[in-house]
Amino acid sequence: MLKGFGNILVKELKELIRDPKVLLGMIIVPLIMFPVLGGIMSFSIQSATEQAQKATVLVLNNDKENWSQVFIQNLNYTVRVFVVNDTSPANAVSNGLLSKYNTTQLIEIPSDFSKNITEYINIDKNVTTYVGVYSVFSGTGLLENVGSSLTSSFVSSFNRYYAPNIVSVNESSIVKGKIENIAPQTLTNLMISQAIAMPITIMILLTYAMQIAATSVAMEKEEKTLETLLSLPMDRFAILMGKLSGSILVAGIGAVAYMVGFNYYMGSFATAISTSTSMDLVSLGLAPSLFGYLLLGVSLFVTLLSALALAVILSAFAEDVRGAQSLVGYIYPFLFVPSILLMYIDVNALPLALKIVIYAIPYSHPIIASKAVTMGDYWTAVFGIVYVTAFTLVIMYIASRLFATEKILTMKLKFKGLRKRGKTSPEES
Amino acid sequence: MTHAIEITDLTKNFGSIHALSHLNLSVSSGEIFGLIGPNGAGKTTALRIISTLLLPTSGTVKVFGLDVVREADEVRKIITYLPEEAGAYRNLSGREYLEFMAKFRSKDKNETRDTVKEAAEICGLGERLKDKAKTYSKGMKRRLLVARALMTKPKLAILDEPTSGLDVLHSYHVREIIKSYVKEHGVTVLLSSHNMLEVEHLCDRVALVSKGQVVAEGRPQELKEKFGSANLEEVFAKVVGFA
Repeated sequence: MLKGFGNILVKELKELIRDPKVLLGMIIVPLIMFPVLGGIMSFSIQSATEQAQKATVLVLNNDKENWSQVFIQNLNYTVRVFVVNDTSPANAVSNGLLSKYNTTQLIEIPSDFSKNITEYINIDKNVTTYVGVYSVFSGTGLLENVGSSLTSSFVSSFNRYYAPNIVSVNESSIVKGKIENIAPQTLTNLMISQAIAMPITIMILLTYAMQIAATSVAMEKEEKTLETLLSLPMDRFAILMGKLSGSILVAGIGAVAYMVGFNYYMGSFATAISTSTSMDLVSLGLAPSLFGYLLLGVSLFVTLLSALALAVILSAFAEDVRGAQSLVGYIYPFLFVPSILLMYIDVNALPLALKIVIYAIPYSHPIIASKAVTMGDYWTAVFGIVYVTAFTLVIMYIASRLFATEKILTMKLKFKGLRKRGKTSPEES
Repeated sequence: MTHAIEITDLTKNFGSIHALSHLNLSVSSGEIFGLIGPNGAGKTTALRIISTLLLPTSGTVKVFGLDVVREADEVRKIITYLPEEAGAYRNLSGREYLEFMAKFRSKDKNETRDTVKEAAEICGLGERLKDKAKTYSKGMKRRLLVARALMTKPKLAILDEPTSGLDVLHSYHVREIIKSYVKEHGVTVLLSSHNMLEVEHLCDRVALVSKGQVVAEGRPQELKEKFGSANLEEVFAKVVGFA
């Protein structure tokens, strides 16, 4: 046995466990974070499934015979069904029947549906009947195609009950009011780059930028260069803006590098899917317009600014770099939760209370905006920009007030007894 | 005589802690004045208030007739402040650091260049100025920072513990910098130290500070004679009742 090893080990454990930053960061946060993330995943899947089950389906029945009635009756056990006779999907879409019946799923029963089934069963003729399933694509997330999956699953059970492989499904998507001959699953795969890349990029960009800003301020405090700067004949707001701008530039370069790398990685899947379907997002109208990109850029910029200003304020409470990084760490759940949640589910599909919480978190808005501008919904992006800008202005005002007064040097946040929040300290006098 | 600093009834409280309590002091123009006292006596708080970093709870502080609260911007134009144990930006070279600091007070590039040249002479770091500050020893860093505080020839240089933690040679070098610079350029220096022997040799006048108050003030020689002591340490001990 190494001489002194046990003694050193006990000392290390005491030092580490008694350090509240280690205790919070390494033990308590993971214990809370992972169950929360797991809960979000479970909630997202459950919510998407429930929504699909609650959803209504519009059936365009072009068949006059019995089997179509049997099919509709069976479907009615699974979802709520509205039936319109003798209409094509193109007419249904152009006449606004989807919004009239408040549905995103459309099933077309062709005119030879009953005839084919009867022939299959009675004459044992090897003929397959197709139903057309059309799903409205709304770019809501990775669980978007739960609705069409439920329809497919219903058809499978119909087949199992009546005759194997009697009915097949022809899947199509309705993209921005236009019927596209592409399965919802394929479309979701095409959009996977956006659905995953954007939230992850924003998450990493914001955490990285906040760390840079917090470290920068804390380093100035630790090295006492901030005191020197504050005693110079200069505008103190310039110190704040200089710090924010520097952090934005460095984080921006980091984000670009990250996005290029990640898009290359995700692009390898998208290219493979595009080749197999000979479809791409631009031809489907699912790439943001120039104006959309501009809105997205503004949304990202104001969010970045608000995150940085918040990091600067928090780091003003810290005595050193380590303390500042720990304090900024408390913001991370507000970055991670919306990012992960919005990867899977549309914000509008959430219960009202949760929806309000997600909208109230400024870091959700670039992710919401990225989905919205893809679908041509610019107002949602504009609302987000206005909200985050207002939030940022408040934070910037607080930060500038902090820099204008002695509080930037005297405020400290003590972990030992958070009730002493904001207590001033003379340090060494 | 013009007063470089005039402190009247200065009090500073941090919550329930009374850092300064009715402190009165005046420093004449062109002198090296030392605030001496043990750790926690209130020296740094006083220097920070004079440097416009902290606000007084009550009382007034004037620097060359300018109020440090109402005319803080004007005060910052004529002072420089060197915090205790301050560092330089680790990834900037010594020269880049000096240029960065000089630009805040220079009108043009020529003035910046001349100021940096002056600082290079003051600190005597030579070719090492090209190296990053993180490679400097504590003594070299302090010489760089003292040079930064003096290079712009401020009317008042406020130096908090300028030689704290330095070895004998670096301390000597820093003291010589301060002495010679004041003589050449008529800069007023207010410094703090808990090294009373050092201050005795460097300062024209000193104030002994204890528990946020000035307990004695005068020329080192006068104070020693008045209290019949061999050095300022003994004076301090007698004043606060230790001896």
